[in-house]
Amino acid sequence: MSVRLPGPERRESILNAAQRLFAEKGYHGVSIDEIAREVNVSPAILYRHFKSKKVLYEAVLQAMSAQRESYVQTVINSGTSFEDVLTGMTQVYISSINDNPDLLRIELQSLLDRNPATSDFFKNRWKSFTDYIEFSLNERLPYETPNREITILTAGLMFQGMLREALVQKYLQPEDRLEDVSLYELSHELVRLFLRAVGIEKSRLSRKAVISG
Amino acid sequence: MSDFDSELDASGLNCPLPILRAKKAIAAMENGQTLRIIATDPGSVKDFEAFCKQTGNELLSSGEEEGKFTFMIKKAA
Repeated sequence: MSVRLPGPERRESILNAAQRLFAEKGYHGVSIDEIAREVNVSPAILYRHFKSKKVLYEAVLQAMSAQRESYVQTVINSGTSFEDVLTGMTQVYISSINDNPDLLRIELQSLLDRNPATSDFFKNRWKSFTDYIEFSLNERLPYETPNREITILTAGLMFQGMLREALVQKYLQPEDRLEDVSLYELSHELVRLFLRAVGIEKSRLSRKAVISG
Repeated sequence: MSDFDSELDASGLNCPLPILRAKKAIAAMENGQTLRIIATDPGSVKDFEAFCKQTGNELLSSGEEEGKFTFMIKKAA
């Protein structure tokens, strides 16, 4: 029983169903037939909008990248200190997953899919964090720090790992261990622990902001 | 003589670094002076438009050539 929809709406409904299924089962776990069934159209109609599964998958990524998180607001509104900017970015990133947890599911699926389109897409999203951390630590760590270059690289990865695991716990686990932790507390705590680990003391000013906020 | 007062090369950097460095550069400039920024992140086009709209600084021009994006921003008086 197929309901006739105008072209753009049909396309939109296919994209939504595809996003959900790719997120749940991974690229290789979903067939075009299954997506077509989900939106009540024949595979022939689906192929009229997207000529292959690969094209459809790339369109899903494209649609998600249009919702790319913007850190502009963070930079305008927050102080320019390392901890303020990193906390602001973390909050923006957590909000984007909060709004669309499929983004995180597709990322995790893609880690094993080895699909170049996805790996570039997610690498680029994390690059905002790793670039910012590497750039800032490069300015702040004393030159005589042992293994300086490796420390800076590892610090970027450490933050990415902390944040991604916190998001997995908060948004993908049925028993939410972080249920009572607000987005605000989570981002501050991650940044606080991270700064302590890389040996940068949180400034007193932003500490006050944490308490009053 | 160049037609800008300061220059910032943010090539190879992802948002928010270009914006952050531009904010710092503009803070150090006099009102009415211009800053030229070079960036390679395609997202920087939207980012600098939003940045100028929200800070009141004027985006005089924005262009692209061979993957390099150039922006001219005039500090609001």
